[in-house]
Amino acid sequence: MDEAALIRFDTIPSFLGVSVGDLEDLLPGQVAIAGYFCDNLARPAAGQRYLARQLRYASRPEKAPANAIDLGDVNVFPLERDKHFSAVIAQCAAVLETGARMVLVGGDSSGLEALGVAAQKVTGADVPVIPVTGGVAGRLSHTQPVILSVDLQELAGKWVSHPRRLTGMSPAQMIAQIDATPGDVIAAAIFGLAPELDIRGGAETRAALAILQAVTERLEKGAG
Amino acid sequence: MNNAQRRLITAGYAGLPFGEFSQCEAGCVGVLGVPSEVNNGPRSGASLAPDALRKMTQQLGTGLPVNGRDLGNLDLTGDWSGILMQLVTQMADRDIVPIVLGGASDVASAVLGALPDLPVVAAMPLARRDLTQRPANTIWVGLNGGQSADVWDQISQRSMGWRTARQLDEGHADFSDMPERAVLWIDISVIDLGHAAGSVGLNPGGMNPETLASVIGAMACRWQAIVITGLAPSLDTRGMSELAAIETLNAALHNG
Repeated sequence: MDEAALIRFDTIPSFLGVSVGDLEDLLPGQVAIAGYFCDNLARPAAGQRYLARQLRYASRPEKAPANAIDLGDVNVFPLERDKHFSAVIAQCAAVLETGARMVLVGGDSSGLEALGVAAQKVTGADVPVIPVTGGVAGRLSHTQPVILSVDLQELAGKWVSHPRRLTGMSPAQMIAQIDATPGDVIAAAIFGLAPELDIRGGAETRAALAILQAVTERLEKGAG
Repeated sequence: MNNAQRRLITAGYAGLPFGEFSQCEAGCVGVLGVPSEVNNGPRSGASLAPDALRKMTQQLGTGLPVNGRDLGNLDLTGDWSGILMQLVTQMADRDIVPIVLGGASDVASAVLGALPDLPVVAAMPLARRDLTQRPANTIWVGLNGGQSADVWDQISQRSMGWRTARQLDEGHADFSDMPERAVLWIDISVIDLGHAAGSVGLNPGGMNPETLASVIGAMACRWQAIVITGLAPSLDTRGMSELAAIETLNAALHNG
């Protein structure tokens, strides 16, 4: 078996091909990427929960960010709302308390909500959420902790397999916006896309993967 | 629309309640599906368009900027085009804007036959002879490819406004002599096949769906009737063609 085949069959699929780890492996400043398998709580649309799995399988290790780790999926309880939120908030807070930064991938916008509460709990202050479309009021200092919200429903219709609107951002515009996010990005959520799981979902999966790469690199930079 | 069909689709187009013509009020819209089918060529499926549009607006949660009723689908047995003409005339007389979801181009012919004196804004790749013969000038949106010489003669002799798909995509969307009131006919074949494949016509080099919606939305015209034809939803698994039709219709109603 050649090296490429070994890579293909011997490794566990992970986000962007980064190494797989657990909470105790995290170091301050590292980026922990976790899947969020829940799409029925806020702006529900079935299928969004599969984004994390899709991105793991589509990832290639060539451009794996050096300082990131795939933490697996956060535990979810989609049928028990209160239990779900307290569990997700506790897990996100546990990650942020290590000093690592966190990216939540997939699902609906309820993950962002939980991430916001967790960040507030850890920092002791409100953490502004910056949408990928921009439009944050006021100027932020580069040390201000912020959460980046990447709603993939902002992509223009031509980039996705089930378009909901004609106009919107291109992946390149989104990546430029992510790169220019002000403040100290301590966490991010990428959500809102129900990818087609076959060949028809190829374009949107590649777009989402490039966006995840940009988000991870932005978090690695820390204070912008 | 019969009861079995209504049970399958719980709400009308863009959430409008299903109703009868008599329930429509002045200033409102009456949405009517006319599921006729193209009778030649390899691409068909236009008869599925009215219900596909209703379903998609339901999925997207689309709303209209005006009130109205969804009148269901016209029964296509017998003299349906005569009945359609009568319905459109009655709606126009009561200041109700008919929104007719075809169907093939014969649906638009019936609608235009009911409103013979009004100018037409026609979004379509090939200029039609019957439109050049109407008393009022037609404005052509998104022409593309070779046009027949006699039709061009008519268009230039009567100084009708026209823009090609390419001109519009490049931002040249200014139309002089825009009428105050007109009928809007959108043939979905005006859209480039590469952007939205769900049309009965093949139109490489056609318009971008975004351009179509923005050009129609920028027209300061009071639409007396709107008709959409040539949409074949089963040819577009992504639903981009339906989305283009829905957003263009909404853009038109926002202005007109």
